[in-house]
Amino acid sequence: MAMEINTADFEAFIASNKIAFVDCWAPWCGPCRRMGPIIDELSQDLTGKAGVAKLNTDENQGLAMKYRINAIPTILVFKDGQLVNTMVGLQPKENLLDVYERLSE
Amino acid sequence: MDADILVIGCGPAGIQAAIHASRKKASVVVAGKQSASALSGALIENYMGVPATDGDLLLSTGATQAREAGATVTGMNILSIRRDGDVFEAVLEDGEPVRSKAVVFATGISRRKLGVPGEKELFGKGVSYCAVCDCNFYKGRRAVIVGNDSEAAVSAEMMTSYASETSWVFWEEEADPSLISRAKDAGVSMHRSRPVSIDGSDKVESITLEDGTVIPTDGVFIELGAKSAADLAMDVDVMPEMDDSIKVDQGCFTGVPGVYACGDVTGKPWQMARAVGQGCVAGTSAADFVKGLR
Repeated sequence: MAMEINTADFEAFIASNKIAFVDCWAPWCGPCRRMGPIIDELSQDLTGKAGVAKLNTDENQGLAMKYRINAIPTILVFKDGQLVNTMVGLQPKENLLDVYERLSE
Repeated sequence: MDADILVIGCGPAGIQAAIHASRKKASVVVAGKQSASALSGALIENYMGVPATDGDLLLSTGATQAREAGATVTGMNILSIRRDGDVFEAVLEDGEPVRSKAVVFATGISRRKLGVPGEKELFGKGVSYCAVCDCNFYKGRRAVIVGNDSEAAVSAEMMTSYASETSWVFWEEEADPSLISRAKDAGVSMHRSRPVSIDGSDKVESITLEDGTVIPTDGVFIELGAKSAADLAMDVDVMPEMDDSIKVDQGCFTGVPGVYACGDVTGKPWQMARAVGQGCVAGTSAADFVKGLR
């Protein structure tokens, strides 16, 4: 299972993972509910390699605004603490793994 | 309204499912609009035994056959569905609930893209396909809902609770009249014209309509047709595939008790012949399931 993060531990999470994926979601969003299990699988596949977490945008609206999120699901991808990719909409796991492969080269 | 089986979709798959289930003495309600079927407006030249025929003629003849077999063909979309124990409870556009023991998804393939310049480029930068998902990001900002059907009307009314200004763009009046009034009463400003472009460089700034109107806005919510079949499926515990299709077995069973699917929504080839064949299977399977409950 991907861990749930919030505004308080967000910075620490992206700082402590060389590569970090953050799935921005909300409970009433249908595509987000489909993204959830994919993110959990990604978390398992990348154990020890990258950080994978979920961020509830309803409970963390300041962060949603900071990253200019207008639609969910949105996956924010960080490398060395810097935002390097913003992926909007439901993503197959292969897309996310591709992003990881490119970033880890 | 109570029924044994609710069929969602009245294209060839849904109608055939309704005919077969009705002939097996199940009571059937069919939701959906004929005009939303891929068959509507098409000329069918590859259906065995039928010379080139207008798709709308096939659809209306099929709907008559379903009625004669005993089905209730409502001509209305459903706004929502949920499971209550062994019973499914759906709500039609006019607010009437339909309670059934089984559901057949015959929703076809979703055509949710508007196909105007700016739509693809500004997706996630103000363009959204899910008002209910993204309304929260438009608190105090301006929003435009695009779509003709009841789902767009419901989205427009909901958006007034978030956005500072909500506009609704439609070009055909397909939504239920009561829902149109509710949107109007909630303060939605209506524009009857087709969108021609969504404008902005880094984010949505406006939407331009065929009649020349330019509506300045922060967000454009594209809500075409009925509520997404993928969302409806999840509301009855069926997880759609990544391409929004619904996986079924040879009996058109989804794996979730009482839920069946047939036609284009289950995969390719998107052909009437396949849809009709699967409709037959799904209608029969659903009727057998309901009989087993009796």
